[in-house]
Amino acid sequence: MSDDIIEIEHVSKRFGKVVALDDVSLEVRRGEVVVIIGPSGSGKSTLLRCINHLEAVDSGSIVVDGIPLTEAKNIDKVRAEVGIVFQLFNLFPHLTALGNVTLAQRIVRKTSKEEAERIAHQLLAKVHIPEKADVYPGQLSGGQKQRVAIARAMAMQPKIMLFDEPTSALDPEMIKEVLDVMLDLAQEGMTMVVVSHEIGFVKAAANRIFLLCEGHIVEEATPEELFTAPKEERTKQFLKQILI
Amino acid sequence: MTLDRMGSEIEIMTPGQEAKAKPLLLRFDRWWLLFAGVVLTTFLLVIKEPDPYRRIVVFLTDGIRVTLGITLASFLFILVVGLIGGLGRIAKNPIINGVASIYVEIIRGIPLLVQLLFIYYALPILLRDLGVRLAGIWPALSVRLINVKLNPFLAAVVGLTVCYGAYMSEIFRAGIEAVPKGQMEAARSLGMGYLQAMRYVILPQAVRVILPPVGNEFVALLKDSSLVSVVAVADMTRRGREFMASTFMPLETWLMVALLYLVMTLFFARVVAYIERKTSFVR
Repeated sequence: MSDDIIEIEHVSKRFGKVVALDDVSLEVRRGEVVVIIGPSGSGKSTLLRCINHLEAVDSGSIVVDGIPLTEAKNIDKVRAEVGIVFQLFNLFPHLTALGNVTLAQRIVRKTSKEEAERIAHQLLAKVHIPEKADVYPGQLSGGQKQRVAIARAMAMQPKIMLFDEPTSALDPEMIKEVLDVMLDLAQEGMTMVVVSHEIGFVKAAANRIFLLCEGHIVEEATPEELFTAPKEERTKQFLKQILI
Repeated sequence: MTLDRMGSEIEIMTPGQEAKAKPLLLRFDRWWLLFAGVVLTTFLLVIKEPDPYRRIVVFLTDGIRVTLGITLASFLFILVVGLIGGLGRIAKNPIINGVASIYVEIIRGIPLLVQLLFIYYALPILLRDLGVRLAGIWPALSVRLINVKLNPFLAAVVGLTVCYGAYMSEIFRAGIEAVPKGQMEAARSLGMGYLQAMRYVILPQAVRVILPPVGNEFVALLKDSSLVSVVAVADMTRRGREFMASTFMPLETWLMVALLYLVMTLFFARVVAYIERKTSFVR
């Protein structure tokens, strides 16, 4: 089996006249944490959403764990292997935290109720909110919601986790609790693709960073390279803005 | 943008939470008083003036049963048609979407009374003609079509279902569309299929949104069921006409019929309001 768990080759995607991704190629190795940064509208989220086929690519190919995404039959299978955490959580408001974490296990994996709940309780403990199992999302804080969302994605035992600006809708004091959970995951060897501008997380966890700008990859760097010696002019400009 | 979209996210309280918080008596709002008043008026009329009011009620009893039966039977089918029609209206497949949209647009443009008359009087003739044409091709079916006799009750249920199904489709469509798009994405990203996501994630939320309009439709249907009296169904309205024709007491007859409809509609409106409160939203 190839060492690259995600292979993105020459992917382009446009929305009407707007080019979101323009000939993007990158690969992610098993166990790697890749962070994608870039100004708003640069195609970061689109790239992430293409990886689990929430958006279809116009051209190019994406292969996830050896399965090409172009074949429609594979989509649900791939999605179950790839967890995604959204900026706005997208928790199911009609279910408790426990219900959110057990639902997909029950109907996609056909796990028994007892087993699904056992896994869910474990995961909620792992994201440090075991006591919120019976609480509805409407009564959780933003940071707690996002941690339930992470537990929900983890319940499918994914090989890859995608994070789409997981902390940008949170109040500052809640950001850390979510980043801590993400750091734990990274240390356990989870393959992660993260769209985020949290410099602390990038420095602590990222193996490689890609700067995306107007649909192009402008620069690929390790954290040290990026923060000490960025190569491209565009990268310097961007870093100046986010490091204020 | 972020704040805006956050604001539109729906948060739901535990079902039943609000209702449980109040003592039993306060759960009945003041509209129950109106309902009680109407029931009392009807009751007093029947007790104090058994002739003719008691006679009218006794005569109408079958009709009440038929009215309720037709309303409830139709409503079950309407919910099914509404769900399928609503899913069709949001389907990306152009054929499914087209069929659902044409159904809704055509039916909404024709008065219910005309639809009922069409189904009861015109449809059998249409089927008979079709049967004659099929005589050489498919004799068995042809004979069946030529001898077709529409049961009035069935015709009424079909007519009401076809008509209200179109309105209900629009209500379901609006309800499904009111659920934020991220919900479907989250469900699909967990590996659920489209129908699984609908069944377990979207519809449970949509149902809470559409409960008030669906309840309104039920009450409207109960009233519109009086139109089936023109297609030989012995509902409450038709029984009222029969009573009036034999006794020449229009005032008493229609007063009683109106009161009985009012008792039913007020009662069901309260039931709907109660269910609504039990599954209330906090935004």
